[in-house]
Amino acid sequence: MVNEDEFYVRYYTGHMGRYGHEFLEFEFRADGRCRYANNSNYRNDSLIRKEMYVSPLMMKELKRVIQESEIMKEDDQRWPKKNVVGRQELEIRLGNEHISFETAKIGSLVDVQESDDPEGLRVFYYLVQDLKCLVFSLIGLHFKIKPI
Amino acid sequence: MMRKGRGFRNESRDGVRSGDKYDQFESTTDEDAAAGRAQRSVEGWIILVVGLHEESTEDEITDKFTDYGEIKIFIWLRSVNAGYTLVEYETYKEAKNAIDAVNGTKFLGSTLHCDFAFIRAPISIASGADRESRDRGANRNRVGSRRRGRSSSPSRRY
Repeated sequence: MVNEDEFYVRYYTGHMGRYGHEFLEFEFRADGRCRYANNSNYRNDSLIRKEMYVSPLMMKELKRVIQESEIMKEDDQRWPKKNVVGRQELEIRLGNEHISFETAKIGSLVDVQESDDPEGLRVFYYLVQDLKCLVFSLIGLHFKIKPI
Repeated sequence: MMRKGRGFRNESRDGVRSGDKYDQFESTTDEDAAAGRAQRSVEGWIILVVGLHEESTEDEITDKFTDYGEIKIFIWLRSVNAGYTLVEYETYKEAKNAIDAVNGTKFLGSTLHCDFAFIRAPISIASGADRESRDRGANRNRVGSRRRGRSSSPSRRY
């Protein structure tokens, strides 16, 4: 059985460009603390930093989604390397396993299919979609802001 | 500990790992005192429902939750792995009634679990920078370890 405390999730997507370091990042800690940071310097938009605590049931569901995705079995060795367009990172600590995968930004499933590890990258792609969807819903409901 | 991935080389500190202040929504309604650990959101109380049968429909679920009050927002996240709904009610009472009535019941043969989506921040870290985010892997009692070395924080305004 996985120890409750040994759970952490972080997703980052971003790039360095003419508007500086623009990124979107969020994390969940085992105690339910969810942080969200979104930095876009375009037209002098400022950094958004939000923090909220989600309930144990929400954390349990998040853990289930991650476990059922089987992302911990994958490896980023053959995934597209980060490039000028930017990078994504997915860090998960679950029990005694700790992954921190890094890859290029993925535009669509075509990028996934054309990669050297389409099966693994597809797991990443769909899990990231689920996580983003969850965080955007939570942020939207809790603060009434539209993240993107 | 088994570590895997290329991302461990990145140590960016301007995102969630920074020590800067994060905005929290601080609710100040009359309902808060009775809400226990539950946290109100900007326009109401959000509940989470998990364990929905994959063949259940949005109409069936919204019908079910309309019994406890007017649903202000209904979000259903459905995908290969995810399958849960978030329901917003205006009042704590409606949300609590829905949770108490639905949690643990069966619907289409599947057991539903239902609770508030948000909880209040632990009091000891309700304000200021949080250095402990850098030690996120550390497995320690946050509230306890802070209280021993410092004077107690002012109580929250509820």
